[in-house]
Amino acid sequence: MQSRDTRRKWLCRAGLGLAGSWAAGQSLGFAAQAPTARVAVGRCRTYNSNELLPVLRKMFDQLGGLDGLVKNKTVAIKINLTGAPTYRLDYYALEDTHYTHPHVIGAVVHLMGKAGARRIRLLESPWSTADPVEEYVLQANWEPRDILNAAPKVEFENTNFLGGGKKYSRLTAPFGGYIFPGFDLNHSYEDCDVFVSLAKMKEHATAGITLSMKNCFGLTPATIYGTGAGKDEPSIDPKGGRGMVHDGKRQPSKSAPQEKDPGSPRQEGYRVPRTVVDLVAARPIHLAIVEGVRTMTGGEGPWIRETLTMVEPGVIVAGTNPVTTDAVCMSVMGFDPMADRGTPPFETCDSTLKLAEDAGLGTRDLKRIEVVGVPIAEARFDFAAIRRQRRSARRI
Amino acid sequence: MRWPATWTEPNALSLLSGTGVNCLIFDQTPALQAVRAKAEEQGLKTASLDAPPAQVKVVEGAWPGVRMSGGASSDGGSAGPTGVPWVDSNQWITRLTSARHPETTVWIDAPAPEKARLSAGSYQVAVADVAACQGRWIITLDSLLAAGIAEQKADALKTWTSIAQAVKFFNARSEWSGYRPQAVAGVVSSFSGKGEFFSQEVLNLLSRANVHYRIILKDQVTGTSFEGLRAVLYSDEEPPAPGLQKQIMSYVQSGGMLITGPKWGQLPGAKPAPMRHPRFSSHLLGKGSVEVSKEDPSDPYLWANDASVLVSHRYDLVRFWNGGAYGSHYVRRADGQQGVVHLFFYGFRGPDSASVRVVGRYRTARIRTIDQAEPRPVKADFGKTSVEVYLPPAPQYVALELGA
Repeated sequence: MQSRDTRRKWLCRAGLGLAGSWAAGQSLGFAAQAPTARVAVGRCRTYNSNELLPVLRKMFDQLGGLDGLVKNKTVAIKINLTGAPTYRLDYYALEDTHYTHPHVIGAVVHLMGKAGARRIRLLESPWSTADPVEEYVLQANWEPRDILNAAPKVEFENTNFLGGGKKYSRLTAPFGGYIFPGFDLNHSYEDCDVFVSLAKMKEHATAGITLSMKNCFGLTPATIYGTGAGKDEPSIDPKGGRGMVHDGKRQPSKSAPQEKDPGSPRQEGYRVPRTVVDLVAARPIHLAIVEGVRTMTGGEGPWIRETLTMVEPGVIVAGTNPVTTDAVCMSVMGFDPMADRGTPPFETCDSTLKLAEDAGLGTRDLKRIEVVGVPIAEARFDFAAIRRQRRSARRI
Repeated sequence: MRWPATWTEPNALSLLSGTGVNCLIFDQTPALQAVRAKAEEQGLKTASLDAPPAQVKVVEGAWPGVRMSGGASSDGGSAGPTGVPWVDSNQWITRLTSARHPETTVWIDAPAPEKARLSAGSYQVAVADVAACQGRWIITLDSLLAAGIAEQKADALKTWTSIAQAVKFFNARSEWSGYRPQAVAGVVSSFSGKGEFFSQEVLNLLSRANVHYRIILKDQVTGTSFEGLRAVLYSDEEPPAPGLQKQIMSYVQSGGMLITGPKWGQLPGAKPAPMRHPRFSSHLLGKGSVEVSKEDPSDPYLWANDASVLVSHRYDLVRFWNGGAYGSHYVRRADGQQGVVHLFFYGFRGPDSASVRVVGRYRTARIRTIDQAEPRPVKADFGKTSVEVYLPPAPQYVALELGA
């Protein structure tokens, strides 16, 4: 597995070299030397632990094994619980369409426990609330104890506010950031040795796709980056969504790093992908896992005004670099990871992958990525074709 | 029904034929004297709000539904502190008044907002919201609707028919009046005096937080008052009298949870426990626990929401998905063989694909709606401790009937 220290040092060196040279919309010129890393693709048709555990175990082994990454470490896992727990796509359980499935979370936690993780912390910033994550998922009909008991010393933390910390942690993007030079985040994102993004494979209305990197948009606490954030200082409780990051109509609380250039475009298709890259640079991902056993097409949640469908791609993708992992995911989804603005799924937005590659976070070029496990062509579930069909039907 | 001031013709009484309306409220307008006389001649009861019939308690309520903001927000709705639509309901005041005056029928006076152009569904919710709790909404037509009915406009007559159907629907189901409200938490207070607003608003907001509650008047606590409850909220301004304190402590000792403010006083024998909520200090006592708010509670919204977390959503009696601005009132027959969950969708239309999970061991599920004479079976997954029901596209009020 890739060394965390080496990667951090590399990012710092990249950041130093870039100081002062950033300009909005320009390539940062690190694409050619962006690092690569192996990506594992697994076929998994159901959420039964009998199938999930061996598939995930094999994938982690193919990446070099979990032991070296998590043994005696505090592991923080960002899961995806986007939208209110009372909002379903039709009658489907939330985990069958847009939430990371609790069985996948439980299986990953279990395997990390077996690999010797000292402490496993499950993180999410649930919609507009400071309630414990356990209380949030109960409303989705989950039993949080199933996850908490999957390994020793497992806990949830709601990162949408100060939470259990005494102060917010300031994490900065070593390359300087596209929109934000850094962020004030819940302490959990700093107080960990290993950071994992455990995402759902989906399209996204604003960013084209949401995979391991876009999952990190939810790192931002709504007390600072939400519509109800305090003007000068963070609010006590999180209120509303992250509209300010989308549209730039206001700035985060003054106590946090402000935007680099308030004159930059106020378009969400420009801002959201860049902010995601800023976040992933500030809080590097050591292990990216994207589950697409069951998911949805048409967007990231049931609130999207599109033709939305529950689908069963039966696939899981994992890697130690989020850019290479997301690139393989895109290809599994039938999209070209080299696509840029104007090409599906980025018809109206910039490519998070390209921006991340330009920032030197990782390559999206499949020719430079070693894929192990199930070949992409065999794992493919063609979101792109469904998207074309959906859009042509709309035109008719 | 409050007789519209513009219906001055006695022959308008024919509109009441077959509607189930049996009492008319008149104001003192001389122009209505002829109508009133004719109504009495036809055997209808008449009254005024100042002098309601015997055994009736009239209380002021609010028009049930998503509160309109007067154009302040783009969608016209008003939001609570978390951005959740602000819903007004008369269930809490109906239940509280019934608890205080068990020998009376509660009438809720909550006129429709003027010129709101309300749908028939919204009027049906106004009737059902109160009737589900065994009260009666005083039918009060907004002036546009009253004028439309007088002019025999088709839409207005349709709405009038819908209101009448709703009244008849509940009149025909008097057996539900014997069913017991299900609760996960009890709220203990006098609900009057200095802390009246706070304690009453807690009831209102507990519903909003989806906590099913039992009203317990602090001077009427009996041996069974706390039966089956996971928690008791002491929301009274005054510390409890020694007798009441002993009763509640006995409940805690046997495994219950008390949620209270710092005015409660000493907790003899209690041991500190790990913090369960940042705004509360936690204590263990016997088999139960006590959660004491660190500050004197002043915000009923916070208090109700914090209570929902302390009690835990694990014990939610009813869970909704895709319900929008929803509410529910869950009652069961004493033998536990029949349950009825009154489902309210306070938005401007019913849901397309809502699902509801109800705690209880049931084997049958069907829905009744006001506009359909017969109940309909619904798709449901029956579990050992709960049932999840998948509602078809539904109107704004649905009675979910569950059988064991």
